[in-house]
Amino acid sequence: MITKRQATEATALLLMAVVPLVFGGNAYIMGLITLVVIYAITLIGLDVTVGYLGQVNLGHAAFMALGAYAAGLATTKLGWSMAPSLLAAMLVGLVTGALLALPALRLEGPQFALATLSFASLVVILLNELEGLTNGAQGLSLVRPALFGIKLSPAGFYWMCLALLSLIWMGMRNLLSSHWGRSFEALRDSPIATDAVGVSVYGRKVTAFALGSSLGGLAGGLYGFDFQYLQPDSFRYDLMVILLLGVVLGGRKSLWGALLGAVLIVMLPNLLSARPVFATIAILGFVASLLAAWHRRRISSTISFQAAAPIAATGLMVLGGLFAQSLEDWRKAVFALILFAVVVGLPEGVMGCVERALAGLFRVGRRPLPLPCSLDEVLPAQEPDQEPGLENNGAVRLEVVGLSCRFGGLVALDRFNMKVRAGEVHGLIGPNGSGKSTAINVISGLYPPATGYVRLDGRLLPSGNLVRAARAGIGRTFQNLQLFFGLSALENVMVALRHVYCLPLPLIMLGFGVREEETARSEALSLLNLVGLGDHAEIKAQDLPYGAQRFLEIARALACRPRLLILDEPAAGLSLPDIKTLLGIMDRIRERRIPVILIEHHMDVVAQLCDRVTVLDGGKVIATGTPGEIQTDPEVIRAYLGSIACTGGACTGVANNKTSSAAC
Amino acid sequence: MELINNGQMLVSGAAMGFVYALVAYGFQMTYATSKSINFGQGELVMVSTFISLTAAESGLPYALVVPLGLLVGAGLGLFVERVAVRFALAQKSEGWILMTIILGLFAISAAENIWGKDERPFPTPIGRASLDIGGGIGVTPVELSVALGVILVMVLIEVFRRWTLLGKAVDAVSADRDAAELMGISATTAIAISYALSGAVAAFAGILVAPITSVGPSMAATLILKAFSVAVVAGLQSGGGVAVVGIGLGILESLASFHIGSGWRETPGLILLILALALRPNGIFGKAIIRKV
Repeated sequence: MITKRQATEATALLLMAVVPLVFGGNAYIMGLITLVVIYAITLIGLDVTVGYLGQVNLGHAAFMALGAYAAGLATTKLGWSMAPSLLAAMLVGLVTGALLALPALRLEGPQFALATLSFASLVVILLNELEGLTNGAQGLSLVRPALFGIKLSPAGFYWMCLALLSLIWMGMRNLLSSHWGRSFEALRDSPIATDAVGVSVYGRKVTAFALGSSLGGLAGGLYGFDFQYLQPDSFRYDLMVILLLGVVLGGRKSLWGALLGAVLIVMLPNLLSARPVFATIAILGFVASLLAAWHRRRISSTISFQAAAPIAATGLMVLGGLFAQSLEDWRKAVFALILFAVVVGLPEGVMGCVERALAGLFRVGRRPLPLPCSLDEVLPAQEPDQEPGLENNGAVRLEVVGLSCRFGGLVALDRFNMKVRAGEVHGLIGPNGSGKSTAINVISGLYPPATGYVRLDGRLLPSGNLVRAARAGIGRTFQNLQLFFGLSALENVMVALRHVYCLPLPLIMLGFGVREEETARSEALSLLNLVGLGDHAEIKAQDLPYGAQRFLEIARALACRPRLLILDEPAAGLSLPDIKTLLGIMDRIRERRIPVILIEHHMDVVAQLCDRVTVLDGGKVIATGTPGEIQTDPEVIRAYLGSIACTGGACTGVANNKTSSAAC
Repeated sequence: MELINNGQMLVSGAAMGFVYALVAYGFQMTYATSKSINFGQGELVMVSTFISLTAAESGLPYALVVPLGLLVGAGLGLFVERVAVRFALAQKSEGWILMTIILGLFAISAAENIWGKDERPFPTPIGRASLDIGGGIGVTPVELSVALGVILVMVLIEVFRRWTLLGKAVDAVSADRDAAELMGISATTAIAISYALSGAVAAFAGILVAPITSVGPSMAATLILKAFSVAVVAGLQSGGGVAVVGIGLGILESLASFHIGSGWRETPGLILLILALALRPNGIFGKAIIRKV
């Protein structure tokens, strides 16, 4: 079945393919459209980091340079033909991209941008200085090699580029609609939660960056064969700015945006050489930003920066268009003004706006939900052995021994010991600041312990690594919600269904991921049913009511098939009916015999749910036992209420009321 | 001869190193308050130095050129904060990286058109005749003025931060923005002040270095990458340390350009930066950040 989207794409491809048949004789037009296709490939690559990963990448021009020189040297020095040279260009981009990403992507924000910027400068210096290999600043002339023995005409070369673009387009489409694309959304919303479901943010980012860089390398190789002359300086800062302009102007996170951006940046130099055209477009931009400001004015009475900045920028462009002596001299300033107006006034880019307008016109039909599969398939019940709940009964699943954790001078956790048995719900309580959250953060790998270790099912748990702990079987929720707010409830759960996704990345890009995707949808739906959210599957997480968001986190943690589930204050802030739902969910989890650690301040919830309870105070365990034992423990009463000397039932009643009201 | 050459390289490299340290110091100030830095700081240095040059050429005495340059730098810093940083910070996005790059791009284009693309000498009343400091190694008064000027500014700013109410307010915002705002300190104002100071410091670095390197649009790019390297290697969070790293880098690149070739002048800084990011991403003097949930 052909969807509307595929039909649009096929039409666009066909239109682009027939251009040489009409304008084949016109070298100028052929040059322009070839460049558009090459830029589109490189912009798709750049969009991976700038758009999908949301990080400012200033090194993309360097990957183009490396690819261009790799392909150029492969033909000139080694005599390779077209296909292997381009493959070499792509590989060089992939490998150098991975090498840069490995250290750089452990960084966030400005440090990452700086790392890519200095890498780019380093590459240009190297290409300039290694004269023996690259001819340095003199430049490298090369002859376009044959493709499988066929000498390519300009039209032939263009068609080859177009074919590559279509392949890349399809591959990216498949990638983005798979769990990879979903994890990109997830890691921008909450990197910690992405790690905590065992999907490595770092691994995904490095892979995606290397992939984007390989497209840069490929585009660089094509660029070299297009111009048949290479110079290190053509890959400097200026090119990077132009590439960023293309992505931002076209629209981030969009394949169409990349193509549109490529068209725009190829047109720009021609725009600058024709003053009347430039002035007209500048005036149009000015009017558009005035209109936008007027439109916004009706909503709020003050003129915002977002409205004023594009007016100022386009206003300057109008002045430039009318009075500047030579627009070519002011090229960079014009780029800067356009970029500025777009970044502030049109952050989604041109394509973002078009897509929003189109979405209003044509409603895109939702894919129908599949039938949920049986819960036993998703969440196999864990080994049913002895009766749970009884003292020293049931195999020990989690064993925490001598765990300590310090933050500077503060000892948050002091030689903490704990055992969780099969099928048991184990409460972890204590006054505020007693170290409960630190304890589960160390167990789940968020913080490395200073001393001690954790065993899960007899095996040592990796310490200080959220991803590896999750893969070893720890599933957890968070005290402050860490949902993927931009994704639907169903997709939130799908991100965590690691066991469903086995296909390697290349096969996914070739489009073999569809079956996995269907399985994941039905399994996710079944988990949503477990927490009572089956009817809300397609609602965005941010639009769910608060209680439902808490339950969604539990469903997501269960999707990891945890061997131990950690719930961090699941009842915090819940209304009474929601607490009833939570109790129901806990019953169903207990049926699957998944061991649970429950941090909770509602003592009635603790008393009702927990088989055993461990009480922490000042980082130390002060009591362990059944809820009944804990409630009468004098040490526990002192920790909660201070040193009131009392014994017996009357005081524990006070303790209960006090703690449960303190939690509200 | 070899030894003397190396010694001479050491001295001139150290003088440049002081300048890198000063610009890097400016980065740390804005990073402390707002977790953002001006990617167009090199262009800011260039524009403010060009304005100072124009003032000096029109007959303004040097004693007035310096304060004028500082004022211009502070003004440009405020402009950058208002136009490129505040909006992005309000949206909690990293858009300021792109926005400050854009401003820098505009500045460099404007400078090329207003002052031309050629390198121009910067007049100074301080002597250029080399003084022998022993062993045939010479140091010029200009180089000395750079070192002294940089130290003076750093001391002044430390005094401002520790002993004035305004400085303490800026420090409070650096330590904990939310808590400072609850105490009635305007974080926006503190960030603006840090940008103004950072701009003034950068402008001063330009005035100090211009007699040695001359003024031109290209001074932006060469200065900025090294200042970045110094700031990152020393640690963006730490106040001290930049001087040590800056001088070290200045010496290293001066030796590299002398022994390997002038085209390689920039490589030590870039390699150092990438190494530091790979091995100690929070810098030599920086502290590790705890992930919070």
